[in-house]
Amino acid sequence: MMITLRRISQLLFLSLFVLLFFQARFPYEAWLPADLFLRASPLVALTVMIAGRAFVSTMILALVVLALTIPLGRFFCGWICPLGTVIDAGDHLIRRKRRPARQRDPLTWRSWKFFILAALMVAALFSTQFIWFFDPIALLTRTFTTVLYPAFSFLLGGLFNAAFKLHFIEDQVYSLYDAAQAGGLLPTQQPRMFENVAIALIFAGIIGLGLVSRRFWCRNLCPLGALLGIFSKYRLTRRLVSDACTKCSICQRECKMNAIEDDYSVNNTVECIECAECVAVCKPRAVSYTLGRNHGENRIDLTRRRLLQASAAGAAGLMLFKTTAAARIRKGQALRPPGALTEEQFLDRCIRCQECVKICSTTGACLQPALTETGIEGLWSPVSVPREGYCEYSCNLCGQVCPTGAIQPLTLAEKQKSRMGTAYFDKSRCIPWYRQEDCLVCEEHCPLSDKAIKFDIREARGPDGQMRVVKFPYVVEDLCIGCGICENKCPVVGAPGIFLTAAREIRLAEPLRRNTAPNGA
Amino acid sequence: MEKYTRRDFIRIGAGAGLALATLPASPEGLLAAPNPDLAIARNGAAGPLVRKAVEALGGMGRFVKKGQTVLLKPNIGWDRLPEQAANTNPEAVAEVIRMCLEAGAARVRVLDRTCNEPRRCYMRSGIEKAAKAAGGEVRHIVESRFQDLPITGGELVTSWPVYRDAIESDVIINMPVAKHHNISGVTLSFKNLMGLLGGDRGALHNHFMTKIVDINMAIRPSLTIIDAWRIMLRNGPTGGSLADVVEKQLFIASADRVAADAWAMGLFNIDPNTVEYLRIAAKRGLGQLDLKRVKIQEINLGV
Repeated sequence: MMITLRRISQLLFLSLFVLLFFQARFPYEAWLPADLFLRASPLVALTVMIAGRAFVSTMILALVVLALTIPLGRFFCGWICPLGTVIDAGDHLIRRKRRPARQRDPLTWRSWKFFILAALMVAALFSTQFIWFFDPIALLTRTFTTVLYPAFSFLLGGLFNAAFKLHFIEDQVYSLYDAAQAGGLLPTQQPRMFENVAIALIFAGIIGLGLVSRRFWCRNLCPLGALLGIFSKYRLTRRLVSDACTKCSICQRECKMNAIEDDYSVNNTVECIECAECVAVCKPRAVSYTLGRNHGENRIDLTRRRLLQASAAGAAGLMLFKTTAAARIRKGQALRPPGALTEEQFLDRCIRCQECVKICSTTGACLQPALTETGIEGLWSPVSVPREGYCEYSCNLCGQVCPTGAIQPLTLAEKQKSRMGTAYFDKSRCIPWYRQEDCLVCEEHCPLSDKAIKFDIREARGPDGQMRVVKFPYVVEDLCIGCGICENKCPVVGAPGIFLTAAREIRLAEPLRRNTAPNGA
Repeated sequence: MEKYTRRDFIRIGAGAGLALATLPASPEGLLAAPNPDLAIARNGAAGPLVRKAVEALGGMGRFVKKGQTVLLKPNIGWDRLPEQAANTNPEAVAEVIRMCLEAGAARVRVLDRTCNEPRRCYMRSGIEKAAKAAGGEVRHIVESRFQDLPITGGELVTSWPVYRDAIESDVIINMPVAKHHNISGVTLSFKNLMGLLGGDRGALHNHFMTKIVDINMAIRPSLTIIDAWRIMLRNGPTGGSLADVVEKQLFIASADRVAADAWAMGLFNIDPNTVEYLRIAAKRGLGQLDLKRVKIQEINLGV
């Protein structure tokens, strides 16, 4: 009974997660915020607020989840977390049948997640957050954006391309195609993502760990689970084992979380995720759940010694990351989305969830997860890559789906003045400059009224030796907002004749103070 | 009367293109002697004006026969609102669709290969909604539907991928919006057809004047309607500011695209005889550049 309810809940929340994921698109018609799940992660909320030294109002929901965990225990892990559900599904798929009695995982493994959490918190205290690598919601959203969604689009797009060859049902196929695009299922251009292989491997690793034991990630590694575990120590749900228990040990073996102690009547309330698997597998029906004060074990598997080690690790990582040289040249070419906070604050807040990258892929498609352009600290943080996409002039959606406010929600008018960088001509590559032939594709696409690209008309000697009249383009710095459409559309093959740098970028020194959400466009 | 499908037309163009190209005017023009070559309708709402302009030419029935497939090519290239005049007027597009359907068209397809993100352009231009409401089939470009089309008589472009709907339709109606554009001064019907092209269109921008005429040798609209209800005077073809836009309340319709573009140049105070692509097009027999030899009828709904 309870297990059925739990499965329904898991399925519903995973569906909602997927639905909201696809909702992050143009036109953004938010009936619920597309980043709802990210906003609900207490781990993100705490680290971002600690590292950023600021209250992030979008993340109130996370505090609600945390508060509910005190009486209800780790219901989030067992009933809601979409990564947990995906791991459950993965465990079912890769573990073909239940293994015969085997030894439990060593209990020390469970302590890893507390170690990770402690290290992350120490780093956050010193104003750096690495939480983006570990937070399960950010991790899953990132995997969806860079791996699963492009793959899905590739598959669906391929199916449509094949179906379009069937001319006799062309209209029907087109209607489906149109509906898939209009509904946000199929993007208008196939998303192609940097860093997708690395992100896919990590995701595959997390699923693959299911071969070692069920919910390996959740029971041993997830720092959000660790955090919720600490808060669920004094939970008010109670696992009762009656005298009917035959000490068969099946509940201990089947426990997803390795939470049942050697005396089968006692479970570790820090580890238990309320999944009720033990209720379901018990043949004599000796196990039940009720409300009430729990008398279970509530040990947090982290010794003082380990805590110190974790702190040291966190501090060491912090020093290392903070003192890595980020090549100045690449850093100067990395453009942040419009509305991004100043770099240090931006990195304190950005959890690399790629929600902005997802919604951008449905409009101008300029945002990509960075590698080390902005330093190792900036791994997978969003940068605009104009040769791949450009910032759509009338779009301000990235800031609307950022759960942590690393990208602030600008109004369209604000966004259109928010300079991301500046364009420069490479006169050795630009067609009019090196070949003395008209081109003007950049000028044509420049979205500004009073175009930032202008040109001189002069006579010049062409490669054929003849004099001709040529339009030589140049950038008016004060007009350029760095949207990058000029670099994107430049017809020169390879390195473009006009390129963007972060020069003169405008970054917000502090979060905006307003309550109303900007109009979507 | 012998019925030409679009495909036949292109086949003829491919086979005996040069012979055809030296004809003084399009075959439709020759058959419709009593009608004016060019109609101008001024002062009024966009829908009624565009209708009057086409009626003055002899009505849509002159261009669209019962059961035919029409491809209507407005400018939907930019993520801009109707009042910014970067795209064709949506009311006028809807009215033209209705006229085609009244003339018995089996279907009227509306499409453009956009410069900004296509869904944004179709939606924010207002054209998707208006065209659908009028009974048009609004189609988004499917990348696999471009097909290489040989261009007989093309000087610099001898083959280019063209959208199959354009190749297969019986009638093409070209419906640009009149806008400032720094490559050719003004962008009108000739450049609007680039929206039917696949491939890397940026590569067409050098030696543009010759290349755009080459493209126009391959794609031959039966009717050209220039939307000058609002025109963009500067910062084209994107514009963006309402200060760039002037409300002219005017439509130009003609079977002769050279004449139509030539007349529209006047709205921007440009002498059409100085426009290189029009001179090349006239020389290749795509239409009449000398407006003195074009029979023009002006209708003023405001009086």
